Amino acid sequence: MTPSTPLSTTACTAPSADDIYATGLRNQWHPVVPSRFVAPGAMRRVTVLGEQWLLFRRSDGALAMLADRCPHRGAPLSLGKHLGDRVACWYHGVEVGTDGTVSSVPGLPGCNLEGRKLVASLPVREVGGAVLAYFGDERHPEPVDLALPDPLTDPDADAFLCYAEWNVPWRYAVENLLDPMHGAFLHHESHTMYDGDTTAKFRIRETGRGYFFEKTDQRGVNFDWVELCRTGADWVDLSIPYPPSAGPGGPFGIVGMVCPVDRERTGVFFWRYRRVQDWQRDTWRFLYRTVIEERHWEVLEQDRVMLEAMPADADQRENLYQHDLGVVRLRRLYRAQAEQQAAAG
Amino acid sequence: MTTAPWPYLDVHQSRTHEPTPYELKLAATLEEVFTKDGHELADVVRGLNARQVHAPDGAPWTEESFRTEMKRLGA
Repeated sequence: MTPSTPLSTTACTAPSADDIYATGLRNQWHPVVPSRFVAPGAMRRVTVLGEQWLLFRRSDGALAMLADRCPHRGAPLSLGKHLGDRVACWYHGVEVGTDGTVSSVPGLPGCNLEGRKLVASLPVREVGGAVLAYFGDERHPEPVDLALPDPLTDPDADAFLCYAEWNVPWRYAVENLLDPMHGAFLHHESHTMYDGDTTAKFRIRETGRGYFFEKTDQRGVNFDWVELCRTGADWVDLSIPYPPSAGPGGPFGIVGMVCPVDRERTGVFFWRYRRVQDWQRDTWRFLYRTVIEERHWEVLEQDRVMLEAMPADADQRENLYQHDLGVVRLRRLYRAQAEQQAAAG
Repeated sequence: MTTAPWPYLDVHQSRTHEPTPYELKLAATLEEVFTKDGHELADVVRGLNARQVHAPDGAPWTEESFRTEMKRLGA
């Protein structure tokens, strides 16, 4: 990444801890959009961590992510033209390759912009049907190792990605996942979370990659536990029992990730997975597409409606209790990391 | 390039086509069979046939024809 990389919406100013806490942590991988949003030979403008980026896919499928800013006068490259292996800015035709190098300045051939890498480009990977990108700050341009969520690499698990865009701060979406108790209330009328006690005690159990937040006295009935995993990207894993109508294969799991879009908006990624093989897998996939996906969507909408209705100062005026230990821990962790990243900047 | 509309909220993201009446009926019957008859392949074939919900060619299901059809529909 070059020093000209925009690190926040306020140019030339290193982001404060508050900025980072509000717009997303740096120096890790984040999901961006589903892979299918960028067809071969297409471009797509995306906002991530409050910054404008351009996803650019060559016709052979190779994907690149560039700052959406022409190095000449700052016009959005996303308004430009896809030239196969590079993009031409609409304003003056300056051509930029997938690694951010200016390949041509048609108005002044031989101009000293040519051959220089003047546009930030991010490392990208595609995982489980989603684009992931590494967002490093100036001191950490090299991507950190990314250990993929185990359910997405397990050959015995089969996953469908569900993506949605919510008008909520990114942290609210993660906090919602670290709050299993809401399942028994908000989702009480749903097809999967109708059962189980509405009172519970929780505990935090440390792991080498994060922590479990789990009920001490009930498992396998509702949304009874969640694991936060920090493996280069932040993701959660949880399990919810299916009713008998969903057929053999036991509970379904969710791998959840969020894309911090900006201070007010978040892209949520939910991979619904199930450990099924052979005809049981095929049958689950058939039922998922035909009837189950829509029911899952209704549950997700309950979360969206609640979170979007939360007041802006929701986390400033709270009275938390024992069920919120998982959320409190998450905030401490993220706040401390935001402070560290701001101090290092 | 047009700017992508916000928000993206799409109920169905896994479908390749709108389910046919046959697929909808098969799915609903499968749910009923799983709920009332069991989760073994033999239960499923027996349950579908008992409810007169047959394969696309009108023949009663066999374990083999059910596997083949699920492979097609669940691919």
